[in-house]
Formats: sequence, structure tokens, C-alpha cells
Amino acid sequence: MFGSFLKKSQIKSPWLMHFDCGSCNGCDIETLACLTPVYDVERFGIINVGNPRHADVLVVTGTVNRRNAVILKNIYDQMPTPKLVIAIGACGCSGGVFREAPNVLGGVDKVIPVDVYVPGCPAKPEAIMDAVVTGLAKLGKILEVA
Amino acid sequence: MNLNTFYLAVAGLILAPLLGGLVAGLDRVVTARLQSRMGPPLMQPFFDVGKLMSKVIPPASHWQGMFVRWALIASLASDALLAAGGDVLMCFFVQAASACFVAMGAFSGNSPYSKIGAQRELFQMLAYEPVFLVAILCMAKAAGGFDAFSMMSGSEPLLFKLPLIVPGLLFVVLVKLRKSPFDISASHHMHQEVVRGIYTDYAGRDFALLEIAHWADVTVVLWICSFLWATGPLQMLATALITLFVALVIDNISARLTWRTMLKTVAPISLILAAANLVWLYLE
Repeated sequence: MFGSFLKKSQIKSPWLMHFDCGSCNGCDIETLACLTPVYDVERFGIINVGNPRHADVLVVTGTVNRRNAVILKNIYDQMPTPKLVIAIGACGCSGGVFREAPNVLGGVDKVIPVDVYVPGCPAKPEAIMDAVVTGLAKLGKILEVA
Repeated sequence: MNLNTFYLAVAGLILAPLLGGLVAGLDRVVTARLQSRMGPPLMQPFFDVGKLMSKVIPPASHWQGMFVRWALIASLASDALLAAGGDVLMCFFVQAASACFVAMGAFSGNSPYSKIGAQRELFQMLAYEPVFLVAILCMAKAAGGFDAFSMMSGSEPLLFKLPLIVPGLLFVVLVKLRKSPFDISASHHMHQEVVRGIYTDYAGRDFALLEIAHWADVTVVLWICSFLWATGPLQMLATALITLFVALVIDNISARLTWRTMLKTVAPISLILAAANLVWLYLE
């Protein structure tokens, strides 16, 4: 019973860490809009944390370039397992309009494994919340197999 | 010590952290409603702790695990002492030891935020501990004894004899619940200058145990506040809930103070008021 409670807890308490990896701030504003009374993601137990050691879900907005790739990897490595990564917006998914720039590596998946992609420029708050739910369903399946 | 005392202590040991968890859940729901949000379910803090328990992460320092366990033991011991009708002053000292262990664990980590948080925790202790001590001395003088049963067995509410310790107790509750304007060491909300302050380096199971210790501390503090109107269990519960609600309203309408303001202004004023009440009780 205690084991099943722990598994259920992992689905019901996702703490997000938001990292702006060179976004234009459009996706960042939409991500933070999820916390406002209109969307209120805390309904699902979601908290936006500022510390990777407390985070379960890494939400990344913006393109990855040669300078911030190291920081992104560092943040990902500091998070406890099991962890999810969500790439937000066209830039986070593929590099967007900046993908051909000489300093840009591309999307988030060039550096760390991504679980859910959220397209859009910027991505809608509803889509971001849906991505978290999709990610948690994925985590739930992994936990069931384990 | 008879068997009855033992049963009460065990009940306190088990029920107090659970009550603290419910208080944390109520806190989040009420805060959300005050902000026109729906908020998480009441049981959310239990899910959070369950989740933290199942996380895998190496500790920031090998000393941290030991300090966390000592902090948890001290917090639970203060609960058991209070439930068994023990000395409230002893319960207060044991709880202070718990806060010291948390600070020492934070000092042993690598993060500068954790160290700043630990220093601020010590400043907080310097500010609220004397106030809490004098408030308990006032309660003991008015109730006629230091044990919890004496304070809970009065026919008259202690509040009318102790009006000047109310601001001091509210200050202690705000600090212990880690609420604004005295959320100085742990900065509960995200993206502040000290990240999570004293909790920054704690993660996974250690953080979950610290959360349980925090729940135990909250129960003790609210329980001691409920002695102000201890004419019956329902009155005590109502007093504790009113204290919690006032703390939540203050949290939602105020910005965080600096530790300097806390040490230079709030702590001396609360201490002077509480000390004046103590002198008044002796002169009466």
C-alpha cells in the first residue's frame, strides 16, 4: 500500500523548474501564465520551483546555443530521478527561426533527452498544461512497468 | 510516568505530524482561495512528501542525512512531550534544538544559498526564541505551572491575563510557519534571491523528512498558541485555527521584511510587550 502511495504521489506532485534557454520571452510569459488564477496549475499539485534539486519536470523554452548548452545539461544533471523534460515552443522543439544561426545548436533534444514537445510560437498555456499531463502519463506507465 | 502518559506520548508522536500535514494542506487551499484560485487538494502536502520520498538523488554532503534525522527526532520529541503533558519549556528547548540541526545540515552543504539561509535561520532564532520563552513564562505564571496539563486545565481563558503576548506569539507563528513578512531563511516562493534558502541543498528523502519535522513543529507552535483559550478541546482547536487564519492573511497581504528589520524592530517590540505582561502578572 505504501509503495502504491509513493507511485501515485509521483504523478500527483510534479514540481516544475523553468529554464529560459534563450527564448524571446513569449513562451516564458505563457509558461508563467499557467500559475495565474485563470489557469491555476497548482490545482494539479504543480509548483514552480527555482531549485533543480527539488524539481521533477524541466520546462525549457528557447533555442539551445553553444554557450547555454552546458548550463542546460548541468541543470538536468542536478535534478533527481525520475525526471521529465518538456520542450516549449517552436524554438525549444527545433530551434525555430533561429535554427540556421551559426551559434545555435537547435532544439533542446540536441543536449538532453526530451519527453514532450509543445509546438507553437508562443505555445498556449493550455498546451503547456496538457504537455505536463502527457508527461506524467508517460511517467506513470514507466512506474507501472518498474 | 504511568501507562496513560505513555499512550498520550505515542498518540502525539503519530498524530502531530499528520495534523501538521493537514495544516499545510489547509494553508495551501486557503492561500489559493485568498488569491481567487482553486488551489490543490487538501492532501497535497502528503503527496509532495510521498513524491520526495521516492526520489533518487545523492545528498549534497554526507553529514546532512544525520542532521536531518536528528532534527526529525527532536521535533517529534517535542510533540510527544507536549502530548504527554510534559514541561512546555522543555518542549520549547527541544524544538530549538531541531531548528539548530536543520541549520547545521544547511551549513554542511556546498550551495551559498543554503549557507545564507542557515545564517538567516540563526538570526530568526535569535529574534523569536526570547519572545517565545517569555510568552511561555507568562503562560506558566498565569496557569500556575509549566506542564501542559496545567495550562490546559484552567476554567478561565488565559488570554485575558496575557493580552500583550499575542503580538509576540503571532510573530513566532509567522516565523515557524515560514510566512511573510518573516519568511526570511527559507523563502517559500520561487525565484527569490536565496532560491529556497536553508532548504536549497536538501533534496529527495532528506527533504521529505525535514518537511515532516516542519509539520511537527507547526503543530507544537499552534498547540502552544491554543493554550490562550484552553477551556475545552473545541475552544483550543478554534484558537489554533484562528491563529493560523490570521497568519495566512498576514502572509498574503505583506511583503517580506529583511532580517535587520526583524532583529532591530519587530523582535524588541514583541519582547518588550511580552516582558511587560510578565511583570504585570508578578505585580498583580
